[in-house]
Amino acid sequence: MRTKQISKVFLVIIACIVAYVFLLPLMFMVFTSFKGIAESVTSTTLLPRNWTMENYRELFMNTSTSPVLRWLGNTAVVTCAGTALRIVTSVLAAYALARLPVPGKRFILVALIWAMAIPEIVTFFPLFYIFKQVGGLNTFWPLILPSGSGVMCIYLIYNFLLAFPKELEEAGFVEGANVFQVLWHIVVPSVKPVIVTQAFITFLGLYNSYLWPSLVISRNENRTITLGIAALVLGENYTNPGLMMASTVVSVLPVMLIFMFANKYIVRGFTQSGIK
Amino acid sequence: MKKKTTTAVLFVLPFILFFMMFWLIPFVYGIVMSVSKYSLVKGNQGFVGLDNYIKVLFSSSMYNKSFWLGMKNTVIFVILTTPFLVLGSLALALLLDRLPDRVKGVFRTIYFASYAVSVTAVAAVFVWLMKGNGGYLNNLMINLGIIDKAIPWMEQQPFVWVSLTVATIWWTIGYNMMLFVNALNEIDTQLYEASAIDGANFRTQLRYIIFPGIKNVFYFVLMTTIIASFNVYGQTRLMTQGGPGETTKPMIMMITSTIMDRNDLGVGSAMTILMGIVIVLCSVGQYYLTKEKEELR
Repeated sequence: MRTKQISKVFLVIIACIVAYVFLLPLMFMVFTSFKGIAESVTSTTLLPRNWTMENYRELFMNTSTSPVLRWLGNTAVVTCAGTALRIVTSVLAAYALARLPVPGKRFILVALIWAMAIPEIVTFFPLFYIFKQVGGLNTFWPLILPSGSGVMCIYLIYNFLLAFPKELEEAGFVEGANVFQVLWHIVVPSVKPVIVTQAFITFLGLYNSYLWPSLVISRNENRTITLGIAALVLGENYTNPGLMMASTVVSVLPVMLIFMFANKYIVRGFTQSGIK
Repeated sequence: MKKKTTTAVLFVLPFILFFMMFWLIPFVYGIVMSVSKYSLVKGNQGFVGLDNYIKVLFSSSMYNKSFWLGMKNTVIFVILTTPFLVLGSLALALLLDRLPDRVKGVFRTIYFASYAVSVTAVAAVFVWLMKGNGGYLNNLMINLGIIDKAIPWMEQQPFVWVSLTVATIWWTIGYNMMLFVNALNEIDTQLYEASAIDGANFRTQLRYIIFPGIKNVFYFVLMTTIIASFNVYGQTRLMTQGGPGETTKPMIMMITSTIMDRNDLGVGSAMTILMGIVIVLCSVGQYYLTKEKEELR
């Protein structure tokens, strides 16, 4: 018993060291954003000696090269619309595939598996060309609409529903509820952890995606925050670490807040996603 | 009954439409482009058969050179990152599994948090952590007297590969870890207790209880990690711009420059399809590997 206690303490110490390594880049990001340029390029400590808001001031004032608030607004539109679109189409389709007589069901399921195995990049350039031909570049459409085809999302919800008893739903129908009432009051609550996890992963994917937006968006004011910051990283403030970290903090903050909020669901959702 | 089928069709229809518009049609269109002379500006200039593929795979053109160089760089990246991302995440999950319940959640959140950060942020942070001149790591190590000259982490090989690998591990290891954490949770704890009474040490438990219990998740993680590393783009684009020279230009960067800079949609599509085939072969190989082992058992 004694040695077991000691080994637990030892494990916690290791866990703390690992946690420090994981947090180091994030701490570096936050603290550097409060350092002036002269200090940040020579600094040997994480904490700033002279705290300054200069970087944030410059970032928010300079709205021609870094319209951060505009970028955040664009991102909010794209991520919310894209996530909602994916969850709605996926829940409807997954429910139908798991419970209703969909014609050609087997064919659809096989197509889903193939589509999951083929990497996204294969569709990027043809899709880019299509959007270019219809004049969709530099709009939100190419950033939002492709989310409607959430192959993985459907597959996971479908799998979850297959393993989930359908007696409750049948009872609902016997009571005289229509299919939408059953879906909303019985099915959605029971697959909630999977939905929240998938919503978070979709949101994260849209928020953080870089390659696809960099193809379809070229005008500065239409950029998402990730794309905008990327332009800054590659260009204007590459030489000023403090400014670069300030912009990075602004881009990471919203997603971290949502992460903290969704955390407990995500852990459960991962368990119930049924990857076994 | 008929009403039920109508509902079913109505429910699947939105997805089917999006799937066709944004996956199936572009997919087929990509194949068509790859056998045509196609440019971004002039559009389709006619069917050329397998010319684009031959150009990419065999001829001594610049496309051929970029394709194989991109392939080589991508494979290097996959080989460097996969072991850490798979075995490292398993080690983290095992560590978490053995921690006291009270602190488990905190550490799990910390290890997983970096996954929520965008590739842009990862690049920005690691550039200034690792940069040869003025980077934090070099400043710190020089100050502590560990090194007396700055190490060109971002400027010279093989250091640049180290930086890219470290950044990638930090960024994505948490996701794999979560999958392993859940796989470990499913193992019956009574097995551990029973085996401990029989005098089994950690290594025996790992081999006879843990690995068999998480085997399928292990192969799943291995496969998805290889595929994800094959698709590397953002880190190299933003941290190194493919340099020094072209040593960290992965496949996707070669494809984007073929299409966007050299304006050749046909050849670029052929490259994309070839890359897709390699990735699908990886998955298929993985699938049969897992299956065969199961039958032997």
